[in-house]
Amino acid sequence: MSTTQDSMDIRYTGEKGPLFNLAFKTGLLTVVTLGIYRFWQKTRIRKYIWSSVDAGGDTFEYTGTGIEKLLGFLIAVVFLAIYIGIIQMVLFYAGLSVMVDPQRASPQEMIAQTIALYITFFAVLPFILYAVYRARRYKMARTRWRGIRFGMEKGAWGFVWRAMGYGFLAVITLGILTPLQTFRLEKYQADRSYYGSARFTQTGKWTELYPAMKHMLIGIGILVLSFALIGGGAVSENVGLIGFGGFAAFVGYVWVIIGGIHYGVQSFAYLTANKVLGDDIHFTAAPRTGFVIKTYIVGGLLVGLLASVAFGIVGTIAAAFIPLLQNGGGMIAFGIVMAVGYVVALVLTQALSLILITQPILAHYIEKLEIVNADGLNRIAQREAETGVDAEGFADALDIGGAI
Amino acid sequence: MQKTEAHFFNGLTAGRHEVHVALSDDRQAMIITGDTLPEPLRWSLMDLRALHDTSHKDRLTLTRHADTGDEAPRDPARLVLHDPELIAWMHRTRPGLFRTDLHKGTWRKVFLYSGGALVAAGLMLFVILPAMANTLALIIPVEREIAFGKVVVSQMERVLGRTEKKSLSCENLAGRAALTTMLTRLTENQEMEYQISAQVFDHGMVNAFAAPGGQVVILRGLLDNAQGPDEVAGVLAHEIGHVESRDATRHALRTAGSAGLLSMLIGDFTGGTAIALVGEHLMTAAYTRDAEAAADLFALDMLQAANVDAAGFARFFDEMDGLKGIEIPAYLSTHPVTAERAEQARGFAQSQSGTRPILNDAEWQALRNICR
Repeated sequence: MSTTQDSMDIRYTGEKGPLFNLAFKTGLLTVVTLGIYRFWQKTRIRKYIWSSVDAGGDTFEYTGTGIEKLLGFLIAVVFLAIYIGIIQMVLFYAGLSVMVDPQRASPQEMIAQTIALYITFFAVLPFILYAVYRARRYKMARTRWRGIRFGMEKGAWGFVWRAMGYGFLAVITLGILTPLQTFRLEKYQADRSYYGSARFTQTGKWTELYPAMKHMLIGIGILVLSFALIGGGAVSENVGLIGFGGFAAFVGYVWVIIGGIHYGVQSFAYLTANKVLGDDIHFTAAPRTGFVIKTYIVGGLLVGLLASVAFGIVGTIAAAFIPLLQNGGGMIAFGIVMAVGYVVALVLTQALSLILITQPILAHYIEKLEIVNADGLNRIAQREAETGVDAEGFADALDIGGAI
Repeated sequence: MQKTEAHFFNGLTAGRHEVHVALSDDRQAMIITGDTLPEPLRWSLMDLRALHDTSHKDRLTLTRHADTGDEAPRDPARLVLHDPELIAWMHRTRPGLFRTDLHKGTWRKVFLYSGGALVAAGLMLFVILPAMANTLALIIPVEREIAFGKVVVSQMERVLGRTEKKSLSCENLAGRAALTTMLTRLTENQEMEYQISAQVFDHGMVNAFAAPGGQVVILRGLLDNAQGPDEVAGVLAHEIGHVESRDATRHALRTAGSAGLLSMLIGDFTGGTAIALVGEHLMTAAYTRDAEAAADLFALDMLQAANVDAAGFARFFDEMDGLKGIEIPAYLSTHPVTAERAEQARGFAQSQSGTRPILNDAEWQALRNICR
C-alpha cells in the first residue's frame, strides 16, 4: 500500500461480469435513445475501466461527463456538416469534371479521374488526425490519479501536419520508415503530456524500433519472394512452382499480420520504457505479443461462437412467427421481432468483444507496467482544470476512437 | 459512526494523507483529521458525493459538491474510505450520494447547441446543398455529363444482371428503328439541350430511367406490359423531361453532399447505418416528388406538341398502380405511382384533339420484339 519502495506495481482489477452488464445495459439504452445515450455509455464504461487501474493502491479516476461529450459532438457537427457537405459536393463535381468515357479514355485520363474521386478521403483526413489528437488530449484531461489531473497541451494542427508528412514518408518508402513515423508522432504527443505539474518526455531513438519490426519485414520478404516464384512459374509454365508460390504468399500474408501485431505491442513497450515523467520517474513495460495474439484468436472465436448462438436464437424466434405471416398484423410483428432481436444480438456481440478481447488485452498491458522511482510522484502538484469546449466531438462525429 | 482510517488527497499535490474520519458533534458533517493535515477538515454530509460506475468493491471514493471550474461541480479533493461498515453506513444514510450534479445553465446550453446543430444541418441538407447542386448541375460541361451518364448506365446494367458475355442492351434493328421513330416524333420541333439516346434493356421489370447527359433506358418489362405505343411514348417523354432538367446529375451531386453528412449526424451506434439509409431515402423521396411532377408536366407538353394521345400515359399509371407491391426495388422506385398523376394525364388527354398514334402497328410490333 505504501510508496516507500522505489518501484510501484500497476494492477488491473476489472472483472468480466460487471463490465458485461454495464456494456450490455448501456448498449440497449443507446439503441432505445437512437444513439444519443452513446455519450453516456462511453463515459460509464470508461469510469469502470479507469477505476480498475490500481497504481500502488490508489485507483485512477475518469472525470469526463456525458453531457460535455454531447455538447462537443454538437459543435463538431455544425462545423463538419458545413465542411463535409460542401467539400464532398465540390470534390464530386471535380471528379465529374474529369469524368471520361471509360471505353475511350487514355490511361492518364483514367488516373486523373481516379485521383479526383479518391481525393474526398484526403479532404477529411486532416480532420481525422485533428480528432485523433483532440480525443487523446480530452482523455488525458479527464484522467486523475490521487486527485491530480493529467493533461496535454494544445497542438492538434501541429500533429496533423506531422502525421501527414510522416505518413507520406512511410507510404512512399513502402513502410520502411514506419518506425520514424511511430516514434516522432508519439514523441510529439508524449512531450506535450503532463501528470499534474510534471511533464512527460519521450527519450530513445526511432531507429531502435526496427527490432520490433523484424517479423513484419520477414513477412514482406516472403511475400516478395512468393510473387517472384509465381511470376517465374507463370513464365516457365511450371504449375508446381505457381502452387508453391501461392502457398508462400499465404504464409507471407499471415506473417505480415502477426508481425504487425508484434510491432504494435513491442513499439508500445519500447516507447513506454523510454518515457520519463518529471526528472527521474521511469517506467518499465514488458507486454507479450504471444498473449495479445492468443487473446485475439481465442477471444475472437468465443465472441464469434456466442454471437452466432445469439443470432441463431433470434432466427429461431423469427421462424416461429412465420406461420402468423398470413395477415398484415403478423407481418408487422415479424418485422418488429426481427429488428429487436437483431439489435439485441448486435449489442450483445459488442459487449462480449469488450470483455473477451479489449479488456484482457488492456489488462495485460497494464499488469506489465511498472513505475520506477515512484517516490518522485509525491512531490507533483495539481494543474489547472481544462474545460475544452469540444470534448472529443470531432472523433465521435468522424467515427474514430476505437473500443473505449 | 466510529472514528476510522481513510486516505485523503487534497487535490493540490499527489501526496497521500493517512487520515481519520469521524462524525461531527452536530452530526451534520464529517471531520477529517490527520498528522499531515495543517488543520482538521469539515465536510458537510449534505455536500458529500461518491464516484459512480466504478469497479470498486472494497472502497468508496468521496468528493464534495462544489461550484468549481471543473467539468463537473466537484471539489478536486478525494477521500477514499476502506472500512466496510462506514461504506455501508454511507450507502444507507445518504441517498443522494451518487447523484449527478450539473453546472448552472447546462440544460440551456444543451438546448441552444442542439437547436443550433439542427438548424445548421437542416440548412445544409435542405437549402445550401440543393442550391449548390442546382448551380453545379447547370455549369457542368455537357460532354462530362455524358461521360458520367455512360458510367451510370453501365453500373445500372451490372445491377440488372449484365454478364461478361452478354450485354443487356437490345439490338434488334427493326426495333431500334421504331424506337428512333418514336424519339424523333417526340423531339422534332422541340428545342432540346441534350442529344437524347434511348435504348432498351432486356429485363422483366416495368420501369425506365434517365441517366445524366441524355441517356434514357427503358426496361423490356415496360414494353411487354404496355397496351400501345402511346403508353411508351408517355414514359419516354417523362424521362426526357428528367434529362432536360438535369435531375439525375443534380440528384447525384446532392447525394454526394448529404450522404456523408447524414451518416455523421446519426453517428456510430448499432443500426446507425440503417437509419442513415432510411433518412437518405426519405429525403430523396421528398425531393423526387417535385422533380417527378415537373417531368410529368414536361411530358404532357411534349405529347401535346407531338400530337400524341396522353391517355396512354394515364393508362401507364393505372397499370403501375395494379402492379404495386411487386418487384420494384427501393433504389429504382423513383416513380411513385399515384392516382392523381393518372388523373392529371387523363384530364389533359380530354382536352387534346387531332392526335395520331406515334407508331403504326408494324412498328409497334417491331419495338415489342426489340429484345428477340
